[in-house]
Amino acid sequence: MSSYPATSATSSKTKEERDREVALYHANLIQQRKDIELEILLSTETLIDYPLARSPYDASNPSPADAKTFKELLRPFQPSDYDALIVERNINEHCGYALCPNPRVKEEGGGRFRILGMNGKAKDFKVVEKEELEKWCSPACAKRALYVRVQLSETVAWERGAMENAANIDLLDEPKSEDGSLAERMEKMDIETDNAAGKKDAANLALERGDKTMAARNALVNINIQEKDVSKVPQAPSLDDKDLSGRLDSMHLTLEGHTSTFGSRRERRHNEELDGANIDDGEEDSEEDTDWQL
Amino acid sequence: MASTDEDRMRKQREAGERESAKLWRACRTVHEMVRDRGYQLSDAEVTMSFDAFKQKYTTDDGSISRKMMNFSASPTLEMIKRYSNPVTAHDLHPSSPDIGTIWVEFLPDSNVGIKQMRAFAQHLTANNFHTGILITGVNITPAALKIIPAVASETRIECFMEADLLVNITHHELVPQHVLLSKEERTALLQRYRLKDTQLPRIQLGDPVARYLGLRRGQVVKIIRKSETAGRYASYRLCV
Repeated sequence: MSSYPATSATSSKTKEERDREVALYHANLIQQRKDIELEILLSTETLIDYPLARSPYDASNPSPADAKTFKELLRPFQPSDYDALIVERNINEHCGYALCPNPRVKEEGGGRFRILGMNGKAKDFKVVEKEELEKWCSPACAKRALYVRVQLSETVAWERGAMENAANIDLLDEPKSEDGSLAERMEKMDIETDNAAGKKDAANLALERGDKTMAARNALVNINIQEKDVSKVPQAPSLDDKDLSGRLDSMHLTLEGHTSTFGSRRERRHNEELDGANIDDGEEDSEEDTDWQL
Repeated sequence: MASTDEDRMRKQREAGERESAKLWRACRTVHEMVRDRGYQLSDAEVTMSFDAFKQKYTTDDGSISRKMMNFSASPTLEMIKRYSNPVTAHDLHPSSPDIGTIWVEFLPDSNVGIKQMRAFAQHLTANNFHTGILITGVNITPAALKIIPAVASETRIECFMEADLLVNITHHELVPQHVLLSKEERTALLQRYRLKDTQLPRIQLGDPVARYLGLRRGQVVKIIRKSETAGRYASYRLCV
């Protein structure tokens, strides 16, 4: 009995610790989410004034540096964030496509709607809102911007898996000039390939398992997968095993070495106890269901 | 021909007059709001007549200049006292109250985005304003609203729309009087009723009256209602 208070004290402490851990875990998740939201906001702010490089680059041929940062900044975006970026750019009278240096067009005349495709086929005929047209400098830019938009993931950035996060965004017309991208690839090239290859393999494996997501990285349960090192040469199973005959009648139940049994554990223990009792002193009461006798 | 010209002129003038009237009412409500929060404003500033308003803020081209309507106010001693942190046994030198001068800006822009909000925040920090109230004629973009929590550590920004300020909601007969309690009064209240603060009824941070008074999370307001039977009835709400 003397140990009782001590154990209760330790258990309450561990409960406190556990509560603290859970609270910290959720606080971290929220903090991460806030960080990403702030990152998106700052990226939006940066992209309002894009592109940085003017002539000879234009929307169809953006400077490699701009295109690269644009793609990188856009990575955590959701389509709705991208729409917000377009609105912000339009407020500052830029074309909605972030890599286009032109100002947006202002449609002349009043009216809420415009009629498009009057002299083409019937399927080209469209009635669109004037505001929609005023978002861009040209239909080509609208196409480019929406081409990027459909590649953005609908999942919020903090719930994405590593696969989604690493997904690259393509532009409708990738830069024709090679100088910047070549330098980029030169930078990426690794000389210590043997070490890097192993790391890459491990990274790929982790990616495939999906254990690189934000949630898994600081999960409540610490999972470490430990490979079992097998040093001896594997042997093929043979039929002339000695105790095989004893297992023959239950072998069809065996799944990967595990034989499932029937009946609950308690029932089995009960039976075992009954067997023991018969031998010892004939006491037949089992430990279960004695409450009603009191 | 002459009559249509005259007609158009008249219509234009009337539209301008309506616009000025709206601005005058918004301006008056803002002044009342700032004074009700406890900042120092003279009666002449708050109860300005429409004619005086037009005379003061009309520019050469006949329209009202929103830029000229911006103003700042500093807290009264009474307000500083209400926001001060009480001296307690384990906190003999409490930090100074979390209030300061307020800056009210009327933004004429037809769109309010991140840029405008950033500029406003920068203006506040550059001039050491503790709080800023931004009054716009149009909706602020959602992205721009995210700036507010991002700069919350430096300055406090509140946003109102002109259309929301045409009438002072606290003067409506169905809106009871809300009085902000100081920290001492708050602890006294909790002790008297033996409550934890979370056991009080609540008022939301986005409640129109809470926005009017600029309430902060954790503050308690006393709401005094008229009662048929008791004459006056006071209840308390915690801002969440």
